[in-house]
Amino acid sequence: MRPMHPRPNPIVAAMYTLRDMEVDVIVVHGPSGCGFMASRMLEEAGIRVLASGMTDNDLVFGGADSLVETLKMAKERFNPGTVAIVGTCASSVIGEDTDMCIKRADIGCKVFSVFSHGCMKDNTEGAIKAIEAGCDAGIIDPAEAERQIAVMKAATALERERGMAARQYLEPVRGPTKLNIARKINETLASGGRITAVMIAKKELAYRFADIFLALKEASDALGGEVFSVANLDKNKGLPRIRRYAEDICSELEFRGVRIDRVIGGLDEYALIGEEIREAAEASDPDLLIICGIPHAYPQIPSDAILITDQPRQLANYLDKGHNAVGEISSHSMVMGTRKIISLETGDTIRDLLRDAG
Amino acid sequence: MRRIAIYGKGGIGKSTTAANVTAALCDRGLKVLQIGCDPKSDSTKLLIGGKGIETVLDVYRRDSDIDLGSVVRRGYGGSLCVECGGPKPGQGCAGKGIIMAFELLEKRDVIKEFEPDVILYDVLGDVVCGGFAMPIRNGYARDVFVVTSGEMMSLYAASNIAEAVRGFEGDGYARLGGLIQNSRNVTDESELIDNAASEMSLDVIFRLERDPVVQECEAKGMTVVEGSPDSNMAAAYRSLAEKILLLTEDAEGGMRI
Ligand SMILES: Nc1ncnc2c1ncn2[C@@H]1O[C@H](COP(=O)(O)OP(=O)(O)OP(=O)(O)O)[C@@H](O)[C@H]1O
Ligand code: SF4
Ligand SMILES: [Mg+2]
Repeated sequence: MRPMHPRPNPIVAAMYTLRDMEVDVIVVHGPSGCGFMASRMLEEAGIRVLASGMTDNDLVFGGADSLVETLKMAKERFNPGTVAIVGTCASSVIGEDTDMCIKRADIGCKVFSVFSHGCMKDNTEGAIKAIEAGCDAGIIDPAEAERQIAVMKAATALERERGMAARQYLEPVRGPTKLNIARKINETLASGGRITAVMIAKKELAYRFADIFLALKEASDALGGEVFSVANLDKNKGLPRIRRYAEDICSELEFRGVRIDRVIGGLDEYALIGEEIREAAEASDPDLLIICGIPHAYPQIPSDAILITDQPRQLANYLDKGHNAVGEISSHSMVMGTRKIISLETGDTIRDLLRDAG
Repeated sequence: MRRIAIYGKGGIGKSTTAANVTAALCDRGLKVLQIGCDPKSDSTKLLIGGKGIETVLDVYRRDSDIDLGSVVRRGYGGSLCVECGGPKPGQGCAGKGIIMAFELLEKRDVIKEFEPDVILYDVLGDVVCGGFAMPIRNGYARDVFVVTSGEMMSLYAASNIAEAVRGFEGDGYARLGGLIQNSRNVTDESELIDNAASEMSLDVIFRLERDPVVQECEAKGMTVVEGSPDSNMAAAYRSLAEKILLLTEDAEGGMRI
């Protein structure tokens, strides 16, 4: 079975991975429109993205000149410490020799090249290429590279098994409003019940999903009940940038009076920690279970759990399976470049109900 | 309009044969557009005095507002000569170049502008990728002829080309018109080619001798039809041209069927 719905792009996955490795400039060697949306988002996060802007002439005659020129411009404009070239379908089909271009441009800083392209089947393949290239270039150490690759492979397997790659076609949906689940949450707390909130978030999306803990704290302060929290916010796992996300979020939560009861795994480990998280959640014996982030990372989701995702297609996948799910659509563009927790619609609905109740 | 493609192993004599056929057809009053589909860009040189001409891709690279007048050159007998061109060896993608050159010629409406009776595509060696299969796909060429000698590698290439054309036949575009024997003085050459042809279920439509007059004329930058019109070889090329006219479809339409 081959999924027919649009899937994440390996080229873009390589670009995000380069951001995680904190390169200064990414040069997309390909059409100027390749990865356009993602480039804009990465720029929000402070990464410079340039395109060599290959044209049909470059396809026929080779794009070396365009790439060399772009590298020189990158040096002149930004004086970067590290530059990564990202391959695209266009440059890979004509077998562009990017290493030769790096030598020709000779810009006197670390420049390396990632052999990604769009037809790699899984987007994680592009990310793995970026990790390997980063490791060869000496910007991440081999042990971390190995760990990253294992994480990526687990993510691919998870998507194939239970995620969007397991379905041939899913129509994106916006899903129901957050009113019903907010009511259910507040009612559970008001009747003295125990809610277990699980966040299994992927990287920067944690800046949004962590709001569930803040909203639940406000609700239980007002209404009573008990909240048990589990989150993949280990500050000692992953690349420096990812650790920083966990640190930001934990200190903001702490500052606002929330302590996570069980921290399991880092922000890049969602595909590895499902089982452990499930054990922790089950042991807490909740009256109501909330799973947010990448809920299908949680094995055998109980049918009465509330799921919160950010992906319209993932949401369709959950609703289709009869789950009680809502979508925090467009979260990704909201969290790019942030260093603060951004409120969830679900969180705000909980807060609205609290205010209405007086 | 007839849409004809000449394929065959590298160096086997495609361009020489194509240029002589074009010259013979022009002599009998037809307007022929010969399109060289090879980055070497030497398909039409015998029609224009042995010189190279500026290629479609070179002109386009300089100026995307390409003007047909600068890429269609008048050659012997009023023939219309075009070279697609392509990258330097070992760079870029020549197949994509062919695709792009065809798109440009079509967009600039080369057919309406020059109203040829025959388009003759002379395509590089083996059909290595989609770009070089372009003339036999997308409705460009209708009738495909394969030039071969009795040498094994040449027959092998012919069989590959035949297979490629047959792969697209169901789509209603190109069809195989047969083999053109361009002799290399191999022992039992005709028999070898006949056997191979019957294995491919193809006819050998014509046998061209190997004749030094071909190279003599080539040295003067001419086809045999032009440079030695009374020779046996010129007569042979004229007969081949007649045979090709007989075997090809004259269909309405633009650059594509
Ligand atoms: N019948 C012939 N008798 C003598 N010489 C010939 C004959 N046909 C072709 N030649 C010579 O063979 C050489 C190669 O021919 P030509 O360039 O036409 O081959 P080609 O198939 O177009 O090659 P390429 O694949 O490189 O484009 C030329 O020098 C040409 O003069
Ligand atoms: S086809 Fe490939 S190279 Fe072209 S824009 Fe899409 S991803 Fe980029
Ligand atoms: Mg030739």
